[in-house]
Amino acid sequence: MEASDITDHISKRFNKDLEDLRNSVLTMGGLVETQLSKAIAAIVRGDSALGLKVANDDYKVNNLEVNIDEECSRILATRAPAAGDLRLIVAIIKTITDLERIGDEAEKIGFLASKLAVMDRPPDSYRELKNLGNHVLQMLRDAMNAFARLDVAASLDVVKEDEEVDAEYEAIARQGITFMMENPHNIKRVMNVTWVARALERIGDHSKNICEYVIYMVEGRDVRHTDIVESGDVSSD
Amino acid sequence: MQIARRRVIVGHLIVLAGGALIGWFYSHVDWGLLAAALLALGWNVRQLLVFEQAVREKNFRHFRYGEGIWSQLFSRFSYQRGQSKQYKKNYRRLVKEVRKSTNAMPDGGIILNNEFEILLCNKAAQRLAGFRRRQDKGQRVDNILRDPAFGAYLSSGDFKEGVEIRSSVDADGWLICRIVPYGADQLLLLIQDITERRRLTTTRREFVANASHELRSPLTVVSGYLDTMASDPDIPAHWGRPLEQMQAQANRMNKIVAELLELSRLEGAGAAPTDELIDVCGIIASVKKSMDGQSDVPEIRVECQSDAQLFGSNAEIESVIVNLLTNAIRYTPHDGQVTLRWAADEDGAELAVTDTGDGIEPEHIPRLTERFFRVDAGRSRDDGGVGLGLAIVKHILERHDSHLEIESQPGAGSRFSCHFGSDRVNVPSSKNFKHAQR
Repeated sequence: MEASDITDHISKRFNKDLEDLRNSVLTMGGLVETQLSKAIAAIVRGDSALGLKVANDDYKVNNLEVNIDEECSRILATRAPAAGDLRLIVAIIKTITDLERIGDEAEKIGFLASKLAVMDRPPDSYRELKNLGNHVLQMLRDAMNAFARLDVAASLDVVKEDEEVDAEYEAIARQGITFMMENPHNIKRVMNVTWVARALERIGDHSKNICEYVIYMVEGRDVRHTDIVESGDVSSD
Repeated sequence: MQIARRRVIVGHLIVLAGGALIGWFYSHVDWGLLAAALLALGWNVRQLLVFEQAVREKNFRHFRYGEGIWSQLFSRFSYQRGQSKQYKKNYRRLVKEVRKSTNAMPDGGIILNNEFEILLCNKAAQRLAGFRRRQDKGQRVDNILRDPAFGAYLSSGDFKEGVEIRSSVDADGWLICRIVPYGADQLLLLIQDITERRRLTTTRREFVANASHELRSPLTVVSGYLDTMASDPDIPAHWGRPLEQMQAQANRMNKIVAELLELSRLEGAGAAPTDELIDVCGIIASVKKSMDGQSDVPEIRVECQSDAQLFGSNAEIESVIVNLLTNAIRYTPHDGQVTLRWAADEDGAELAVTDTGDGIEPEHIPRLTERFFRVDAGRSRDDGGVGLGLAIVKHILERHDSHLEIESQPGAGSRFSCHFGSDRVNVPSSKNFKHAQR
């Protein structure tokens, strides 16, 4: 399935409906990406105003989710799509759920950033959170790019990337435990840092999910909960 | 050509006539004509088949069977084919050159149709914003460049200025995107890397902030000792005047440092808060009260035509009013008049300070909000101003989604005004307007 295949129907209105739907998912993705990048910046710079702004802006993501969901139901009801179109709609319904969750995690990070901003700051100004955050942000961007381009190979790369994110999260959690044992005074701050890392790690998982929906959409194969990276038989593009 | 045509016609007629003559000789004219016609047909079919073969095999070098008009047809066809081949080659070379030069451009360039779908993009666009030349053809550009600010820019349809967005390739990078419409329904999207420019601005701002901060502590010591010395009765009388001047200059420096720090704070800050309500009329009244006691100031009139409130920062709006008012007073003679006006309408509210002072030459107006800019270089700075007031006003207003408008008539007076959009203004439901108070 190519990107242009979507717009290949006899009914021009249907073409336009599907194309608009796809565009609005990508718009929502762009908004979520911006929210996440702002939330990371709020942590790194210790900017509590920016963090709160991210937390307050989450309603925009939620609104988009509701709108796209409604539009999907409308198309399902009026057009009764089949095959590739049906897979597209199903994948979109799932993708926006994950995007909305990512928005929620970004909201959480923004809120935690505003709390962390008023506490002591480590001399490296949360470099490990910045690295993990940028890594996860890149994963999300790649996932949305793969969605836009219906790119199975790129989706597989993102799925592989998730393991590294998990490892980075483990490292931060372990480091946090050490800090807490060294000095109980740190506990409150390190708990918050761990929450942020946890949220970032969850965003990685959601990005991975989105990529799995892309594979489903293009190839019609459900690759969830399977070892797709090792078997490698989906890379027939 | 004419000759060849005539020869074809004459040739065919001769063959037919010859056939008829031979047939007449054997007293069967019809058979003779038929044989001649078949002969002519056979020859033509053979030429046609050779022609077809030459076209199919794309080999026009040997027309052994090309005769008469057929040979002319062959050579004409072959010549035109060669020429179109040459044209094609030239075009391909030209396209290659154009592509090479667009790829050599440091800025990203993307050609879009009027639906914002990508037609072509150069190498820099791939490098700066992660586009892919083949894969992204036909894709809407905001599906790849997904920053909401860019999406809003596209849908606004106002392409006079560019939009600054974060790079999706480099985590610390910034890009400026600008759309240039051209041709029939085509758009050119230019993407420029402004990471370095932004870094420079930040560095400059931080330098000013740090330098001002560093100047503060020595200044505190100097002015502290100056204060002590000035109030010390044992200091000889002839030191009185120098001490006084030193104190005045130290105060001025303190003020400059404080305003520079305020400016760099404003530059770095985002939009002003939208949850704090400001009673503009109250501020105007209190500012006027603080000026009332001073001697030799022009008459100050207050026109509060609305009790609309503003969402923003209280201290900053007060600073705007104080700065505009002191500025107006400074440039207005004692018998002049300064008017402070606050009015609301359906699109928002307007704050205006009008004076009957000297006015400003039009060529100076655009530069008024520059730091340390003075209209009259000869005019001394010891009237209390440090030259940062209007720069501060400009930045505060930007933070409140507004901007300073300056109208002036040299010799007649000036009007400094700013307009706030309706989403920043809160009009209380009870409409008890206070009209033109003094």
